[in-house]
Amino acid sequence: MIADFEYFAPKTVKEALSLLSQYKEAKIIAGGQSLLVVLKQRLFSPEYLIDIKGISALDYINYEEGKGLRIGALTPHRTIEKSPVIQKYFPVLSEMENNIATIQTRNWGTIGGNICHGDPAGDPAPVFIALKAKLKLASLGGERVIDMQEFSKDYLEVALDPGEMLSEIQIPKPAPHTGTAHDKLMVMKGDMGIIGAAVSIVLDSKGKCEDARIVLSNAASVPLRAGKAEKKLIGKVLNDALLAEAGELASAEADPPADVHGSAEYRREMVKVFVRRAAAKALERARAA
Amino acid sequence: MAETKSEVFGNFSILGKAIPRVDARAKVTGEAKYAADYEFADMLWGQIKRSPYPHARILNIDTSKAERLPGVKAVTTGKDFGGFKWGWSGPTRDEEPLAVEKVRYLYEGVAAVAAVDEDTANEACDLIEVEYEPLPGVFDVLEAMKPGAPLVHENRPGNICVEYHWNFGDVDKAFAESYLVREDTFQTPRMAKGYLEPPAVVSYWPDSNHVVYIGAKGSPYFPYRLLSRCFNLPLSNVRIITPIIGSDFGGTKNDMTPADYSAVMLAKKTGRPVKIVTSQYDVLTTDLRRHPMWLTVKTGVTKDGILKATYLKAVADGGAYTRMSPLTMMLTGCLTTLPYKLPNYKYDCYNYFTNNPSSAAMRGHGLYHSRFAADVQLDMIAEELGLDPVEIRMKNAIENPEPGKVYTAVNDVHVATCGVQECIEKVAEAVNWKARKGKKKVEGSKAYGMGFAAATYNSGTKLSAHNACAAIIRVCEDGSVNYLTGATDVGQGSDTIMCAIAAEVLGIGLEDIDLKRVDTAFTPVDPGSYGSRVTVLAGQAARNAALDVKQQLLEVAAQQFGVKPEDVEIKNKQVFVKSNPTRNMSWERLVRTACYDTPGKVIIGRGYSTQGISLLGLADFSKGVGDIGTNYSFTAEANEVEVDTETGVVKCTDNSVIAHDCGFPLNTQAVESQVQGGAYHQGIAAAIYEEFKMDSGQTLNANLIDYKRPRAYEAPMTQVIHVLTNDPYGPFGAKEASEGSCCSAPPAIVNAIYNATGVWIKDLPTQPEKVFWALKAKKEEKKGRKKK
Amino acid sequence: MKGELKELSLTINGKPYELKVKAMTLLVELLRNELKLTGTKVGCLDSACGACTVNIDGKAVRSCSVLALQANGRKVTTIEGVSDSDKLHPIQQAMIDHGAIECGFCTPGMVMSAKALLAENPNPTRDEIREAIQGNLCADEGYVKYIEAIEIAAKEMRGGK
Repeated sequence: MIADFEYFAPKTVKEALSLLSQYKEAKIIAGGQSLLVVLKQRLFSPEYLIDIKGISALDYINYEEGKGLRIGALTPHRTIEKSPVIQKYFPVLSEMENNIATIQTRNWGTIGGNICHGDPAGDPAPVFIALKAKLKLASLGGERVIDMQEFSKDYLEVALDPGEMLSEIQIPKPAPHTGTAHDKLMVMKGDMGIIGAAVSIVLDSKGKCEDARIVLSNAASVPLRAGKAEKKLIGKVLNDALLAEAGELASAEADPPADVHGSAEYRREMVKVFVRRAAAKALERARAA
Repeated sequence: MAETKSEVFGNFSILGKAIPRVDARAKVTGEAKYAADYEFADMLWGQIKRSPYPHARILNIDTSKAERLPGVKAVTTGKDFGGFKWGWSGPTRDEEPLAVEKVRYLYEGVAAVAAVDEDTANEACDLIEVEYEPLPGVFDVLEAMKPGAPLVHENRPGNICVEYHWNFGDVDKAFAESYLVREDTFQTPRMAKGYLEPPAVVSYWPDSNHVVYIGAKGSPYFPYRLLSRCFNLPLSNVRIITPIIGSDFGGTKNDMTPADYSAVMLAKKTGRPVKIVTSQYDVLTTDLRRHPMWLTVKTGVTKDGILKATYLKAVADGGAYTRMSPLTMMLTGCLTTLPYKLPNYKYDCYNYFTNNPSSAAMRGHGLYHSRFAADVQLDMIAEELGLDPVEIRMKNAIENPEPGKVYTAVNDVHVATCGVQECIEKVAEAVNWKARKGKKKVEGSKAYGMGFAAATYNSGTKLSAHNACAAIIRVCEDGSVNYLTGATDVGQGSDTIMCAIAAEVLGIGLEDIDLKRVDTAFTPVDPGSYGSRVTVLAGQAARNAALDVKQQLLEVAAQQFGVKPEDVEIKNKQVFVKSNPTRNMSWERLVRTACYDTPGKVIIGRGYSTQGISLLGLADFSKGVGDIGTNYSFTAEANEVEVDTETGVVKCTDNSVIAHDCGFPLNTQAVESQVQGGAYHQGIAAAIYEEFKMDSGQTLNANLIDYKRPRAYEAPMTQVIHVLTNDPYGPFGAKEASEGSCCSAPPAIVNAIYNATGVWIKDLPTQPEKVFWALKAKKEEKKGRKKK
Repeated sequence: MKGELKELSLTINGKPYELKVKAMTLLVELLRNELKLTGTKVGCLDSACGACTVNIDGKAVRSCSVLALQANGRKVTTIEGVSDSDKLHPIQQAMIDHGAIECGFCTPGMVMSAKALLAENPNPTRDEIREAIQGNLCADEGYVKYIEAIEIAAKEMRGGK
């Protein structure tokens, strides 16, 4: 079924990194929930496969009041969804996870694997961008930290250098009066969003929108920041009409694909709806925060 | 409420209640063996080489490289089959096991390989070199019907596969006399059959003159006949063994596939068992699918909404080969005259060949299309006349005939029992229809509406040939019993019903009966699982075989008691004199006495179905008259939908009820799950979710993620109401359960969407984008009107 | 080296195994083809149908979407390991008694999803049950009786409460 490959199962990050530096063309497998589909269809057949799923040191969720949230790259989706800390401080992450595929996938698939797959239809990347997340990338040469937003390069392409792997997702503590929400168009629960929107809104002490992030999934070849839509909101006291206008602007910024689930035209219409819906919920949360 | 409690009907020991399935334990423990689970020593793996063109001439096939690959044991091409062609009936034999001169749909099989493992077989397929001359193809009926269109079959001018023209009464006169005449065109999509188990086959030849075939076939006596003819063997030497089957729903698991023929040919060539398991991708790109159809319905009614006449024109995409299209077009037209009284009826249909994968039977076969069109149009008519949807249905619904009487439709369809009025009333009551008064409910962007529909389905389907079906019951000397059947349970629960009928008649327990699934070396012939025929026809055979056994044993008992056989009865495994039950013996003792006393008897009973071969005359396809069914089931259904008016996403809610007249529910649980499965899974799924998207013969969503099949979250907890009519032509009053429910769901959903939004969706499925644009167009139309 | 057999040590249905497998072997291929545990079904191999669902360390996972080697050191339970010899698990019994099973092809996967659910959540809501079996396609039954059977089994396992 799958073409043969040489297989390594490092137990530590260090071991994994030295294998990565030794086998430059090696592919990393974490939970493999996306990768194995590709391998089974033989769209891609790696010579070397480095299986990092067993590196238990990268399966963690830590929250510290000052530093914010740290999620190990190999934390399963289901762990994030069910984490009391995340449900308390970042409910948007738990909600987003709850709508990713099915429990079977969430039990085995990891958050790092999802992000490194680089699928613009995925949900975590837009939500992390909305949450101003940073990624810690490790290599034998050391570590670097980049913005999640810089990570997606193109369709299924991410900013990992040869010999490098994702080790941690870092989410800063949100500013006071921040609300974040995610919503996507599903025909059935667990569907990849036909279109998805993650929106984060920060209000100032007077209730004016101080900052906003609007990030779309399945609307371009990478998770898409709708900059014009964000600008529309910043500095204003938000209302339904403004949120709808943001949706219109985001729709104009989107360059969505057309496929069996919907035309590009329909998807642009849906950007309007889901930006407005996610923004309304984010605003409600920001006001309550 | 955590669970639905099954009701109890009739005064039986076993029947009329919830009967646990005889195969449930094996299935729930993983012991049940499906075709892909079979394995033999020295077994080889087979694989099919498929065409990359939907329409092309085959110029040359070079298998030499594949043959040289280590591990490859045999390669076969269509030429090995010596010109053998097969099809649904003599005149429609237009398909080869593997294409020889021309391929007519994408991924049609052109060669096959047997090798020591799956990977080697795949690799060998890649090494087979086929030279093609690509031909222009036709991919929809509009292209296919054009003069000068490329011909899918050179000997079939105009690409016409099937056409019928029927006329009953005088529709023109009736339209002229009607108060209102409406004409609407509807569309139904290409749908996957939906079985999860990909077809698999293992074949071997015990010697050069005998073949064994183990495969997932709902009609194992089809391969029995086809392999006999293909390999020039007497039927006596063809052994088809039926494993447990993971659903069918008509089509591929009735019929043969390139893999079936190839496995047998490769086994013959190698002298070793050969197994071919079809991948789900191959299933979704090449297996039979439901016909896409375009239906134009013209209906005339009186001012009060009484139906005067219907003219139905159906155009279907039959795909590359004829397969079952003649039956599909018959079934699409022949029961438009039920479940409402229709005095005048005209039907024209055209089924075209295209270079798409072949279309064929699927649950709700035929009627699914025409009932969708007619029952949605009925709501449109009701609205124009200001009538309530339930009211217009009650007015037109056929009344249940008095016992002994028969309702005869204009096209000579005979109905002895009809519970459609009771179904409509009970559903209306269960959903509190009157109190709703057609009102929709709106909460934010969500609009809720309810829709109603009714339907019928032919049960105990009778075709012109091979209707014979029988059962053999063998009583073992310890009192245990073997039930030998040619009927095939593909999941519907017929094995349980057969055992339950036999046990009921014999007065013993369900656990005393061991059913032998089809092995054509030992079991009697039966047409198989299609046309909702098994319970009604094979069930009668079961009853007759059990009565035969019982008579033989009663004679032994009568001798023992010194009374006449008719004075003895068997119940709860006790044999007793009716007038004095204290004179009794156990079932085991009776059997032992019969078998061991001089002269020892061998107790074997046999029974066959008489309904399958007689009653009121078989249907005539060319004229559209007569009975395709032994009897007819009826349903009525109300579904509530939630429509997201901003996105177009439709969902069926738990507020959904279906009433089903299956005559008499032999196994209440099985009827409920069949009806829930039919109504929900394949009716509502067809209405809202499922459609193959095509581009030039290529199936674009050939996986179970992109081909949307609803899951547990989308499943309404449909309530099932049993309606009993005790049909005289079914065993213990039974008629079919589930195909009717598959037909009432799509119109109920579309009617509900209209109720919620004021938009008619005339082409299925009601996927979000389609609903979205329809809603938008309506909004703009409203705006436009306001401006004026 | 490519083509080299790799060592795999795991527990399946309570029994320890020391095996040698090809690296590209999927867990479902190991179970069905090598170990002849054919109760686990293959419907799609695309992570779509859930017929191949097993439990790994008590959690529902699709065995077509895991390399056999990834189960190294873990506890795998398949449908063959659910009943206690002759005594069926309450989930199995409820599915039989409630008439939830039709063709049975999805049943092993349904049982494994339900088992993982009830181990984690003894008193699930109807929506939680739906969520637990959302990854298990059923072709013919319409899910209603499966959902109800899992509710019945949960109650039974809570001692009738």
